[in-house]
Amino acid sequence: MSGRARGGKIRAPRRALTKDDVDCESVWEVLHRAFREIHARNASQLSFEELFRNAYKLVLKKKGEFLFENVKSLEISILDTDVKSRIVDLATPSLLLSGSSETSSVEKRTAGERFISALTKSYQDYSIEVGMITDVLMYMDRISTAEGRKPSIFTIALGLFRERILRAAVSEELSMSILDLLEMTLLDMIALERSGEMIDRPLIKASCRMLENLYETITEEESTKLYLTSFEPKYLDASRDYYRNEGQLLLQEADATTFCSQASRRLKEESERCQQSLSRVTEPKIIAVIEKELIAAHIAEVINLPGTGIRAMITNDKIDDLRNLYDLVHRIDQRLKPLKDAVHNLVLEVGEEINKSALQTASEKQQPKAPEKKEPGKGPPPKPLNQQTVAAVNWVEEVLKLKAKYDKLWERAFRCDGVMEKSLEISFQDFINGNSRAPEFVSLFLDQYLKSNGKDKTEAEVDALLDSGVTLLQYLADKDILESYYHKHMAKRLLMNKTISRDVERSMLSKMKVKLGNQFTVKMEGLLKDVELSENLTKQYKDYAAKLEAKKSSKVDLEMHVLTMTVWPIFTSESELRSCVYPAEVAQVKESFEKFYLGKHTGRKLTWMHHMGEATMRATFKKDGQAVTYEVAVPTFCMMVLMLFNDHEKLTFDEIQQLTNIPTEQLIRTMQSVAVAPKTRLLKKEPMSRDVNPTDEFSHNPDFKHQFRKFKVALVSEQSNKVENAEERKETQKKADDQRGLLVDAAVVRIMKARKSLTHQQLMTETIQILSSRFQPEVAMIKKKIETLIDREYLERGPDPANPSYNYLA
Amino acid sequence: MADTNKELSPFVTLVSADGFEFHVRRSAACVSGTIRRMLDVQNNFSEAQSGVCHLENLSGIVLEKVVEYFYYNEKHHQSSSVADMDIPADLCLELLMAADYLDT
Repeated sequence: MSGRARGGKIRAPRRALTKDDVDCESVWEVLHRAFREIHARNASQLSFEELFRNAYKLVLKKKGEFLFENVKSLEISILDTDVKSRIVDLATPSLLLSGSSETSSVEKRTAGERFISALTKSYQDYSIEVGMITDVLMYMDRISTAEGRKPSIFTIALGLFRERILRAAVSEELSMSILDLLEMTLLDMIALERSGEMIDRPLIKASCRMLENLYETITEEESTKLYLTSFEPKYLDASRDYYRNEGQLLLQEADATTFCSQASRRLKEESERCQQSLSRVTEPKIIAVIEKELIAAHIAEVINLPGTGIRAMITNDKIDDLRNLYDLVHRIDQRLKPLKDAVHNLVLEVGEEINKSALQTASEKQQPKAPEKKEPGKGPPPKPLNQQTVAAVNWVEEVLKLKAKYDKLWERAFRCDGVMEKSLEISFQDFINGNSRAPEFVSLFLDQYLKSNGKDKTEAEVDALLDSGVTLLQYLADKDILESYYHKHMAKRLLMNKTISRDVERSMLSKMKVKLGNQFTVKMEGLLKDVELSENLTKQYKDYAAKLEAKKSSKVDLEMHVLTMTVWPIFTSESELRSCVYPAEVAQVKESFEKFYLGKHTGRKLTWMHHMGEATMRATFKKDGQAVTYEVAVPTFCMMVLMLFNDHEKLTFDEIQQLTNIPTEQLIRTMQSVAVAPKTRLLKKEPMSRDVNPTDEFSHNPDFKHQFRKFKVALVSEQSNKVENAEERKETQKKADDQRGLLVDAAVVRIMKARKSLTHQQLMTETIQILSSRFQPEVAMIKKKIETLIDREYLERGPDPANPSYNYLA
Repeated sequence: MADTNKELSPFVTLVSADGFEFHVRRSAACVSGTIRRMLDVQNNFSEAQSGVCHLENLSGIVLEKVVEYFYYNEKHHQSSSVADMDIPADLCLELLMAADYLDT
C-alpha cells in the first residue's frame, strides 16, 4: 500500500531463474550423487547452496513428489545394502547362542559389545547423515509438511531405519530381529552388571538413547517410543524375575541385616543404572519392581526372622540396620504395618516381663527380711526401703529405660516418623496399663525421689528423674487413681517434713499441670497452701504466746499444721479422733493455741490429729552415777507415754491406756517402738517378748544406751507408711470408683443438658470421650449411671425402644 | 576474503550472483534458516569450511537489503513496536522470493 502511495512501481522479478527449463532427471542425478557422497561422509566437497538450490528448483517446478519418492527409495537401498550388512556381519553365532560355558560367555560378551556399538554407531551416523539431507531438502519439507501431506523426510528416514534395520531378521534362517537381538544383549549386559561385573555403561546409554529416539509409527507420539514399547517391558520383566529369585535366595541364605542392606543397595544401583545406562523414565518403574518383588514380598518374613530379625536388631541396638529396615518398610507401606506390629509386640513382651518381675518383687515382700535378721554379723538390714517401694522404683526405672531406648531408636532409626511415634505410644500405654498397679507405682516412684532421702543423687539428676516420671503419667489410663495416690503421698511428705523442698514440689505440680491439666492439680495445690499458712500461723502463735506468757517460761515449743479437712486425704477413723490425755505441760500449750486460733477465726473447729504428730524431748538416764542426756524425737503418742514415767516407776499396759486414753491399736504400736525395738528400748518390758499384752509391765530402762546423742524413735509399723496393704488398696480402688461414678453422672448430665436429646450410642461415645482424659470409663458403669439418672428423673427414655435414646428433663 | 578457513570466525561472507560480497556477522546471517544450515559445522558442507556462501539466486541489490534485514531482525527481535523497515516498492517481490528461499 505505502509503496503504491509513493508512486513506486513494482518490478517483476527477474525470470532468469525460473525461465530455464529444468531437466528433472539431471537435477535429481546431481542430488543423488551428492546424497551418496553424504552417506559416504564426504560432505565437505559439496556446496550446500548448490544442492539446496537444486532441490528448491525441483520443488518450485512442482516436482516435490518426485523428489520425495526418489529420496525414499535411495534411502531404502542404502539401508538395505551398506548399513545392514555392517550390522548383520557382527551378529555372530556366539552372540546368538544362548548356551553359556565359561569361554563362550566371555566371547559372547565381547561379541555383544561389538554388536551394540556397531548398531548404535550406524544409527548415530545414519541419523546425522539423514539430518544433513533433511537440511538440504528443507524447502521440500517446508512445502509438503505445510500442506499437511507428508511427514518430514527425517522422520521417514528414521522410520525406514526401524523397518529396514531393527525389524529385519538377523539372518535368513532365524526369525529373530535385530531389535530382539539388541534387547537380549542389553539384558545380558545388565544381568552381568547386577552380578557385579563392570560393563560399558555409555554404550548401553547410547543404544537406549537410540531406542528412545525411534518411534513405532511416523506420527511420533511420545508413548510409542521403541524404548517404551519394546525394551522397557522386557527389561522390567527380566528384573522382576531376577529380584523374585534374589529375594528367595536371600531369605534362604542370609540374615535380616544382609537382606536389608542388599535391598537398599539394589535400590541405589537401579536408580543409578537408570541415570547412567538406561533412561530416567524407567526409574520409578524399576524401583516399583524392586519394592514389590524384593521388599514387599519378603519384608514381613525378614522382620520376624529368628535370630537376626527386628528382635535381635533392637536388643543389640543395631541402629543402622533398623534405619535400613525402616526405610525399606517406609517405601512399600506408609502406614508401616509390618514394622509397627513387630515393634508393638516386642514392646509389649518386654513390658510384660517388667510388669511380671515388678509384681513378683512386690509380692515377695517380707521374705528377704527374715533371714537377714538372723544373721547378727551383717549389720542393720538395708534401709527400711520396703519391698513395694523397691518394686515400684525398679518398675518405673525399667519402664523409663525401655522408653529411653525406644525414643532413641525412634529418633535415630525411624527418622522421627509420626506413625511409629503413635504406635510406640500405644504400645507403652498398653503394657503400662497392663500393670494394674501402675498408677501406684508411678506415684511411689515420684514419692521416692521427692523425699529428701534421695540422697545419693544430685539435684539435677533428681530433676531429670522426676521429669521422666512425669512423661510416664501421660501413658496411664487411670489418671484419677494416680491422682489419689499422689495426693496421699504428697500429704504425707509435707506433714512429715520429708520433702526436698517446697519449690521442688511446686515445680512438680506445674509439670503435671502441663501434662494432665489444671483440674488434676487443684487439690495438691491446696496442700501446699495449707502448709504455708500453717507456718505463718505458727509464727504468729509464737509471738502471741511470748507476749501472753512472758512470765511463765514454757518448756514446750509448739509447731503445728492447720489443715483444711476437705483437702487432705488423711483417713481418720473415730477412734483416732478420740481425745487423748496430754501431759499437763503439753495440754497447757494445746489449750493456749486453741484459744489463739479460735479467737482468730471464729466458727471453726479444730480437731487434733495425734497420730500425725511428733515431739522432741530430752531424756536423762542415770547409770553408775553418770547422767547421759539424749535428745529424742518421738511420735506424739510415745511422748505421752514417756512423760508418764516422769511420775511413775512402773506401769502396766492397761494403766497406761487409762492414763492416756490412746486407742489400743495405736498404743500397742507405741509400746513396741519404745520397749521392743532393739535400738530404741527406752523402757523395760516385763515379760520381754515381741507381743504386747494388756498385762505387761513397763518400767524405766536404766541400761539404755545409744550411739548418738540425738536420735529418732520411729513408730514400728510407720516405717513403710507409703505402701498400702491389700485392704487399703481395695479401699483406694473403691474410693476411686465412687469418685468415677460422680464424674460419670456429671458428664452425662452435662452432655444431656446441652443436647437435650441423644441416642444411646451417641451419648456413650461423648461420655467416654469426655472422661477418657481422666480414666478409662467402663461401659457397664456408664449404663448403670444412666439408669440411676433415669430413676432420679434427670433423663427419660425416648419413645422408640428399637432405637434407644434419651431426653433431658429440666 | 580474510576470514576464510576459520570455522568459528565471527564473520561470514555472503556473495551475490553478480559477485558482490558482504561481510556479515555470523549470528546475524543465521537469522536465515537456509544460511544457518549451510554453515552448520556438524554438517560440514563446503560453505561451513570456507565461511563463504555463494547465493546464486540473489542479486547484489536484493542481498544488500536482505543483509540490512538480518541486522534489523537481530537488533529488534526481542523488542516490540519497532518501526517498519523501509522497503522500496520495486524490490518487494524479489525480496519476497529471497525470503522464501532463505527461510527467513
